[in-house]
Amino acid sequence: MKSKKYNPPQLALRFFRWYCNPRLQDYIEGDLVEVYERRLKTSGKRLADFRFALDVLLLCRPGIIGNKKSNYSSNHIDMFRNNFKIALRNLWKNKPSTVINVLGLTTGITACLLIALFIQHELSFDQFQSKGNRIARVVMEYGFEGSTETHKGTFTSTKVAPVLSRTFPEVEKGVRMTDADAILYLNNEPVTEPNFMYADSSFFNTFNYEMLQGNAAVALNGPKKIVLTESMAAKYFGSENIIGKTLEVGTNKTPFEVTGVIKDYPKNSQLQFDFLASFSSMGQNQEETYFNANYTTYLLLSDENAFAPLLEKLDPFMEKEMAGTGATIRFHLEKFNEVHLYSPYTAFSSNTSITYLLLLGGVALLIIIIVCSTYVNLSTAKSIERAKEVGVRKVSGAARNQLFWQFIGEAFVVCCLSVLVSFCTASLLLPQFNSFVSRNFLVTDLLSPSFLLITVCLTVLISLAAGSYPALILSGMQPARILKGLFKNSSSARRLQQSLVVFQFSITVFLIVCTVIIRNQLNYIQNKNLGYDRTHVLTMFIGWGTDSKQIETFKSELKKHAQIKEVARCASTPVSINGGYSMRLPSMPETEVIGVFANPVDEDFVAASGLQLIAGEDFSEADMRGVEIEDEKQRRYQFILNESAARQLGFTPEEAIGRELILNSAGTIKGIVQDFNFQSVHNAIKPIVLFTAPWGGRMIVKISGDDITGTIAYTEQQWKKFIPNRPFEYSFLDETYARMYKTETQLGNVMSLFSATAITLACLGLFGLSSYMMQQRMKEIGIRKVLGATLMNLIGILSGNFIMLVVIAIVIASPVAYLLMKNWLSEFAYHTDIEWWIFAVAAMAIISITVITVSIHGFRAMAENPVKSLRSE
Amino acid sequence: MKNYQLGEFEEIVLLTVGILNNEAYSVAIKDEIESRLKRTVSMGALHTALIRLEDKGYLKSFSGESTEDRAGRPRRYFEITALGKKAMLYAKETREQLWKAIPKAVLEVSLQKLAVGSHQ
Repeated sequence: MKSKKYNPPQLALRFFRWYCNPRLQDYIEGDLVEVYERRLKTSGKRLADFRFALDVLLLCRPGIIGNKKSNYSSNHIDMFRNNFKIALRNLWKNKPSTVINVLGLTTGITACLLIALFIQHELSFDQFQSKGNRIARVVMEYGFEGSTETHKGTFTSTKVAPVLSRTFPEVEKGVRMTDADAILYLNNEPVTEPNFMYADSSFFNTFNYEMLQGNAAVALNGPKKIVLTESMAAKYFGSENIIGKTLEVGTNKTPFEVTGVIKDYPKNSQLQFDFLASFSSMGQNQEETYFNANYTTYLLLSDENAFAPLLEKLDPFMEKEMAGTGATIRFHLEKFNEVHLYSPYTAFSSNTSITYLLLLGGVALLIIIIVCSTYVNLSTAKSIERAKEVGVRKVSGAARNQLFWQFIGEAFVVCCLSVLVSFCTASLLLPQFNSFVSRNFLVTDLLSPSFLLITVCLTVLISLAAGSYPALILSGMQPARILKGLFKNSSSARRLQQSLVVFQFSITVFLIVCTVIIRNQLNYIQNKNLGYDRTHVLTMFIGWGTDSKQIETFKSELKKHAQIKEVARCASTPVSINGGYSMRLPSMPETEVIGVFANPVDEDFVAASGLQLIAGEDFSEADMRGVEIEDEKQRRYQFILNESAARQLGFTPEEAIGRELILNSAGTIKGIVQDFNFQSVHNAIKPIVLFTAPWGGRMIVKISGDDITGTIAYTEQQWKKFIPNRPFEYSFLDETYARMYKTETQLGNVMSLFSATAITLACLGLFGLSSYMMQQRMKEIGIRKVLGATLMNLIGILSGNFIMLVVIAIVIASPVAYLLMKNWLSEFAYHTDIEWWIFAVAAMAIISITVITVSIHGFRAMAENPVKSLRSE
Repeated sequence: MKNYQLGEFEEIVLLTVGILNNEAYSVAIKDEIESRLKRTVSMGALHTALIRLEDKGYLKSFSGESTEDRAGRPRRYFEITALGKKAMLYAKETREQLWKAIPKAVLEVSLQKLAVGSHQ
């Protein structure tokens, strides 16, 4: 092959080789080349190239196109068995690299499996409802005349379902539902059951649940009827047939007749209930108003195409209904099957937004890419060791595609091994994962047929993606050169490896920066001075309107304990106050009001929650007596405002004291407290009014923090005395506070986990690559050592190239992370700043990891006697 | 009587293989046809014709030496078989018979016409 200055266009040549009958290929290709060379001389390269391509196209005709099948066929099964054996032997022989590969793949695949499990679960929501495609959930939007502001949600009044099903032929059935906690009695001990639902008798016509006992058609007809799930039936009755038995519900022990038992239904349902009581039991069947919207309405439509026509009729109908009331109400319909993924409104179970799922899917994809690039780096690094094998195989007549599939097969074996290990790790990690995502996955979910199918697809995908590049490289080697001992990877392979390293490290840097910033913000949230005290504060729910005398005695009994410092009754704890009120000064016109949050409290609230009074005084016992008067007109309310509220009214704290204020009823401003965060730190502090009222449903108990268990035991003992009809349940205020940032904490956890995964994988990839590079540069190192290079010199030289790659990665990733995190932080009214040291820390961490990883091989190279590497030649 | 199938282009290729005698390989055949008949021959058409002729048994081929100007690929030389020769003869004879069967007048008339045409 002399004068190879000009080559015919490779693309055309490759195309020709692809379609041409192998029997003819050599001859025709010879012709093509001969003609090409001739044309090259006469008419120049460009024309020759063009004519060459034209010839190839014209050659593409039936007589010449032929199948690739060679004339003899080898014994595929034997070949496969042999390849498999070779693969296993190879893996066994190179134990360290096998372990690294399996470790890398396992880390990634475990993460993917868990994410896939979550996504699959979320996508399968409500699939078991056979009529799901014609069920609509009603969303109400209301507003008042003169204001453009409207409110939207799944709340509807009792009137909606009957009116709509009477008026519109499209609506077959309407179901009204509401869920509540209920107190039930198990062995005469009160127990709070969180999933207690009331529903219309049409419930079982609309949704399908399998009745184990009782008749679905009549189970919820009439008041005081109740249907239980199988497991609840077992919990409360245990016996076989429980139809007709009674269940006592609520603090006043209302007897409900058990009319049915349904089979436990799948967890992936937007309706979550353990008990289903008839809607009429609540005595709320009146159809007076569209307001009082405390219920959720589902409609069963006549067919799945009825959504649009019904919606069209709804608007004019509601306009007519609401005419002259000064309010507007519109109804929207949500498709039942789309509620979980697409609806912003929550009714019975929290939704998962589809964007969140897509994000997670993206994360999984990213992990797969990282995993594959690690594998690619590691196995191209190992390719030197396999080169001789490839050479011998090729000489013995192995076709390129046979070798290709052999190496893919090897990747597949490693992949399968990793998937097996991943299944073990995933099932071990399942409890932690469950608490991360607040779901309840079981090991059996990992083994469901559909999930196994996903796993098989994942395995094949990863084997192909990870295996094909090394397989291409290895199978494309030229036997003559390998066996001569001349072997070096092409520059394209080196470029690919380097870009993979940059890619992996960009992701790693990005994740580290994000994780540090999120952790920082979470830390800030946890330690922020919110203006109130939340350590060692117990909160308990005592029920609305419990007799105040009884609670007074309870309070004074509690205060007798040495460890209990303060006890207060209130409607909401200072962690989260959402009660909306309106206030105005007597001097303001009646139509002009200021929206404000307010919390009914007693005289001990300010002390118990550690609020700082900056003007005026705290409520006194006398103030409380003032609002306990029977006659509403005689009551005197007292207010404590925060600074923002005073400012909103136009007063300095001192000026405000003693002023009249109207908050529903008239009263006097008695004190001003420092601003405190009574809502999530996502929101800025708003005006708030604390007012005296004896009916708050909650109690907060400030304890000293010594002997917490003893104090709680004492409280429980007193509770049993004074509030025997309620279960004693308590939580700590700081826990409640932390729960408010559950999403953020989850995000922080997931990010930490993900960055740990990414760091591990990136290091493994780098480890493989540096070992490869070391092998290539063995001679160079030998010579350097002979000439007197020190260890530090060598490490500097060897890691220099990688450090450059990592620096590129840092430069790429930092701005992306900065912008994204800035956006995230801007959702908080109170947040930390993104400081430069975060990037510095991430960069330092990554660079030192790089140096350490590279040095491992450097040390090994250093320890070796240079004679060994220089001896040959 | 055996039926020898031979298309027009196939006949030309067969004849050219005969002309080149022992030196007949694809590029040479192509060049020969192009220079003698002043028509361009595409590689595709030529190879298809050669393959078809070989399938019919009119040509046989053998692999030649590999040369450097062909990037190491061998030439494939063609040779007319006995059957091929018969087919060529058959084609020639049928043509001649047909020629002979044309009444002289037909040819003359057209010659006259040509003459008239040239006078104008």
